[in-house]
Amino acid sequence: MKNLLLALVLGTSLWGYGEGVLYWTPHGCDTGKTAASAHGGHGKGESAMFAAMNLEGNATARLVLPDLSLKELRFNQNTVMLPAPKLGGYYAMVAESNVSGNVYSAIRYLSLFGRPAKVSPTKLTALPKTVLEIVPDPLHREHDRYTGSKTYRFVALFKGKPLPNTPLVLETSRSGAKTYESGSDGTAEVTLPDDFENVKPGRGNKPSEFLLTLRHEEGGIRYVTTFSMPYSPNPNNHWQSLEWGAAAAATGFLGGLFFYRRSRKGGHNG
Amino acid sequence: MDKFLTVTALRRVVQLTAFFFFVYGATVFTTFYTDDKLTQALPALSCAYDMKGGDYCALIPLQHQMDHRVSTLFTEHAGIMQALMGTAITVGTVALLILILNKAFCGWLCPLGFFQESVGMIGTKLGMKQLPSLSAGTVNKIRPVKWFIFLFLVLIFPLLTGIGLLGHEWGSPFCSICPSRIMTTLAVGDMSQVYISQAGWGYFALSLIADLLFGLMVALALFVRQPFCRICPILPMQTLFKKIGLLRLVKNGSSHCEGCSNCVKACPMDIYEIGAPARNRDITHTDCTLCGRCVEFCPHDGVMSFKYGPATILTSSKESFKKRVKIDKWWKG
Repeated sequence: MKNLLLALVLGTSLWGYGEGVLYWTPHGCDTGKTAASAHGGHGKGESAMFAAMNLEGNATARLVLPDLSLKELRFNQNTVMLPAPKLGGYYAMVAESNVSGNVYSAIRYLSLFGRPAKVSPTKLTALPKTVLEIVPDPLHREHDRYTGSKTYRFVALFKGKPLPNTPLVLETSRSGAKTYESGSDGTAEVTLPDDFENVKPGRGNKPSEFLLTLRHEEGGIRYVTTFSMPYSPNPNNHWQSLEWGAAAAATGFLGGLFFYRRSRKGGHNG
Repeated sequence: MDKFLTVTALRRVVQLTAFFFFVYGATVFTTFYTDDKLTQALPALSCAYDMKGGDYCALIPLQHQMDHRVSTLFTEHAGIMQALMGTAITVGTVALLILILNKAFCGWLCPLGFFQESVGMIGTKLGMKQLPSLSAGTVNKIRPVKWFIFLFLVLIFPLLTGIGLLGHEWGSPFCSICPSRIMTTLAVGDMSQVYISQAGWGYFALSLIADLLFGLMVALALFVRQPFCRICPILPMQTLFKKIGLLRLVKNGSSHCEGCSNCVKACPMDIYEIGAPARNRDITHTDCTLCGRCVEFCPHDGVMSFKYGPATILTSSKESFKKRVKIDKWWKG
């Protein structure tokens, strides 16, 4: 019951975001956070419980582990609880549903701590997971995060092949939808907005969520897939100054040249 | 062609190749991800902040392990294995690499070392008067700094951060001031690491020191040999294992050595100790980067040598000395 209420609250707060498409979002409830802390992961405070929004029909969910093996996930209402990870590295959460001939899918990646899998994360992202798929190229590196004002590349794939000239829609809870189009090789470069409010200097700013949606129709079947991940404010837009940094480096350089002048005048060896 | 074939020429080729691998290697040899790096514990300043790098230095995992794992011995009464296994793997990897190449990681493979030498070459070509050597007094004053940096910025401050006695900014303080972080990220077109942080006094101080140090290092490298290498905390870490290194600098001095000191003048780290008499002895000093210049510039047959295990792989000779001096004169104009 508590989970259902929380899912309702979450759904209300994200009204108008990801409307009508299936996507993953962290549940953020106490149970999920407790489980996440027990996981001891790299999830940067992300919950271990996730909700599949707009879940309808006969839905399935599975986890692709860092060693590329599969584990079925069981929905409780529209939520899944991740098992404690044995392997460390990137995991892919995949949800699929079939509603009135329309095929919906959602993918989300997360990094968890555990015994090294000895399989490159490139193999996880390259592994076909759904018929229509948005593949991060690359997914941000371990210990890194998606950041506002930065540009990332994604590949639109249909049945494992690049999908050219197709719109990818970017949504966040604070900015309106923005449409990007994949090029002839299926890739699109997407710039995340730095649309955070009341940003505090340093750590302690909670990440927000972005959602990419890709739609394609073939053989009378409508395919819709999403890619959702957290993103954070860009420090260089808020509490770090590149200009002052360059000025400090220039000051250091001038200090070095001062030593050079002194060494020439003094003519000594140090 | 043979007249240009010297140890330094060979070293430049190796350094350039290593620079491309360690700074841009992810674009060709490895991939973008940490999991795919070559060793993740390189005893040279190849930076993890460079997203296109082929490997990263041992100091970043060491600081993280002190902060997040070793500290659990005190905060969570964690088991020895759980708290120290990561550090043992990193240190063990470093020991293995030192066994293979000893301190040549500095003189032959370090991207920051190569960068400083390249800036030095630019300084020479700009006609800037080069400081031939620092005085013994200056060298002795500088030497303890690297130990201070290694003990406090790589080990103690991160450990105190993990225990909760220092703020988060002290979790990886060496990386916060390391010029390699700025140099390698700039080399891949990423300007984001040249910043002043306003997140707190600690962040502000570390970011200011980093930028000043980087600018100072570039300017000093124009006329002083290897300015940052003299305080680099990689040297003390390598020193812990240098006795097991198969590659070493051996001196079998003769009476000619007295009053010569060519090896000391050639040494970019100003190691005065290598000029002292020695009989078939390993003289690989803590500050030595195994660059081989002392072997090249020794005018006496068989006095200075590089040995790999029992085998002599390079030895000084009158002939190679003459060739090297000729090239040096040509280069300096």
